[in-house]
Amino acid sequence: MLFQKSVAGSAPDPGQASGPAAERKARYARLFRKFVLLTMLCSLVPLLLVGWGINLHYTQFAKERMLNFFQTQVEYHRKIIEVFFNEHASKLQLVAQTHTREFLTQQVNLQRVFELLNRDVDSITDLGVIDHQGRHLAYVGPYDLLSRNYAKEFWFKEVTEKGIYISDMFMGFRKEPHFIIAVLHAGGEQNWILRATINTEVFRSLVENVRIGKTGQVYLLNAEGVFQTSPRVSGAIMEKSTYPMEPYHQGLQVRTLEGLIDAQGKERPRQIACQAWLPNPRWLLVVKQDYAEAFDDVNYANLWTLVFLHVSALSILIVVVLIARYMINVIRHRDEEAERLNEQLMQAGKLASIGELSAGVAHEINNPLAIILTERQLLLDAGKHLSPSSPEFQEQFEDSMNQIDLQVQRCKRITQNLLRFSRRTESLIETVDLNAFIQEVVELMDREARSSGVKFFTELDPELPPLLSDPSQLQQVFLNLITNAIDAHDGKPYGSVRITTLADPTRQQVQVTVADTGSGIRPEHLNRIFDPFFTTKAVGKGTGLGLSICYSIIKRLGGSIAVQSERGKGTQFSIGLPFTPPQELRESLAEHSAHTQPA
Amino acid sequence: MPGSRVLLVDDETIFTKNMAKLLKFRGYEVTAVNSGDAAIRELEQNHFDVTVLDLKMPGMDGITTLKEIKKLGLFTETLILTGHGSIDSALEAMKLGAYDYLTKPCEIDELVAKIEAAWEKKEGKS
Repeated sequence: MLFQKSVAGSAPDPGQASGPAAERKARYARLFRKFVLLTMLCSLVPLLLVGWGINLHYTQFAKERMLNFFQTQVEYHRKIIEVFFNEHASKLQLVAQTHTREFLTQQVNLQRVFELLNRDVDSITDLGVIDHQGRHLAYVGPYDLLSRNYAKEFWFKEVTEKGIYISDMFMGFRKEPHFIIAVLHAGGEQNWILRATINTEVFRSLVENVRIGKTGQVYLLNAEGVFQTSPRVSGAIMEKSTYPMEPYHQGLQVRTLEGLIDAQGKERPRQIACQAWLPNPRWLLVVKQDYAEAFDDVNYANLWTLVFLHVSALSILIVVVLIARYMINVIRHRDEEAERLNEQLMQAGKLASIGELSAGVAHEINNPLAIILTERQLLLDAGKHLSPSSPEFQEQFEDSMNQIDLQVQRCKRITQNLLRFSRRTESLIETVDLNAFIQEVVELMDREARSSGVKFFTELDPELPPLLSDPSQLQQVFLNLITNAIDAHDGKPYGSVRITTLADPTRQQVQVTVADTGSGIRPEHLNRIFDPFFTTKAVGKGTGLGLSICYSIIKRLGGSIAVQSERGKGTQFSIGLPFTPPQELRESLAEHSAHTQPA
Repeated sequence: MPGSRVLLVDDETIFTKNMAKLLKFRGYEVTAVNSGDAAIRELEQNHFDVTVLDLKMPGMDGITTLKEIKKLGLFTETLILTGHGSIDSALEAMKLGAYDYLTKPCEIDELVAKIEAAWEKKEGKS
């Protein structure tokens, strides 16, 4: 069963001593931005949706209300005008039907009828009776029109044909805008016409006095688009309007007008209009207003909605930034705490290793010391029973001195090795000859291994390039792995530990394997062996920190570690170490070194 | 007591050779072996009053050898000699029936005293 845990050195976790302060700062800044962005997104999206929904609903409601108002205005004025026309046409028809031409051509009678028609409102300017040849038979009014002949006038022909006629505004003989209502009294040769000129002032007041906001206006156009009343803005009665005319239609029509050019040639802003045709005469009643003013309420509401949304967004942003800052501070403190704990863990692991190592070293030194002591006893014994000048004594003396020298050299080698190890306490990146380094560890552990019946075998790649790495950390890794490999032989009388190195130039790394012939690892333990404080050794024999520390160190150095184990046959650890450690680790150590330099 | 038979078991050959010489000089009959297996073989074939046993040895270590001695019912008093100075290992050995322990390096007089005490125990004098 193969279990592998491999990590890229460039992606350290927050708990590890990672990159330099600047990189860490940038990481927290990224985290801060992400947090703010996501929280803002989560907060603003519902706010915007609700705001947009309410605003849309209100806008539709307000627009419908405005259009209803326009339609009501048009409907109302159309009715007033139609009533006005119908009333006057009916009155004239009544007079024409109930009175004879002879009666009405009597000036006194016509005057009396004229007064009666204007009894309530002076809505008729003048009144005349015209015979079938267009001659003015009688006339009551302010103008001198009695001698006029209307036979060639357009309205004369119309009324003769249709029986009743309401004209468009025209100038006529009096040279001012007016319109007439004429009714025909049919009687063959005796046909005559009763004609009334409508008081333009009274009629125009029906529409021209209407006020709708600052830009709203009501006016009438004839079928050719000529103003029949004066608009409030841009244009005058009898002038051609720029209003885009449409064919006759029933009912009301609402239109939005863009790019209209007024009488002065200026482009009008976007406008909303409601129009309705009058049946007789064919005049178009128009109620019109600038779009912006018509929907001012909507625009106002939209503006306040926007202000509200902006204020809300700003409030949310402030709260989110404050929360994010607090959260990042908490995370930073946790990270620092985790880093501190990790360092303490590493330190504890180092102390545990030193403890184990010192036990081995004590044994290693005690043995030569014991031999030296026995040599001393032998000399003392020889001194008691032999003459110092005897050849036997001389032989013993020489043998003992040689042996003492040998054992002293042995002690010296051990202490030198130990010193070399103990000096490597400071983390720093330097050139490491990995083969020589492994040889040193093997030599230091050899006696310990041999006394456990374990032999070391090394297959070290002679082409291995020097590595840039952290020797104190590597020492910790190999010490832990080799100690474990030796301990794995507990219960086995003999065994071996095989250590190999192999350069892998394509991956720019060294592959190191530490394989033992020990008892192997249980499959259910394989997933946990790199967890801190996990150990299968007896209480007091192992701290459970060794492999956890190896994992952390290899990860920190940008390498990978994998384990393969078979129960009863042995375990192999495979380590990939990069030729050069991650840039961030180098910067971190350089920074740390700068901080710890004595002033 | 001089004349007692002592078996020295240690993987350090120089040490066993020297120690055997010192003990022989003090009147003991000494046999030195360098492994647990050799010690068991020797004990099975010959009688030894006291066995001085190193704890840390390749192959069969001191504790295993002691267990084997007890298992086979070999009649000898055992003294544990350890370079580790580990009280735990020594205490474990004593629980298994070892008479006493010494730590390396030790003086010959100290070893002789322990051997004497062990011999007396074996002979039922203490």
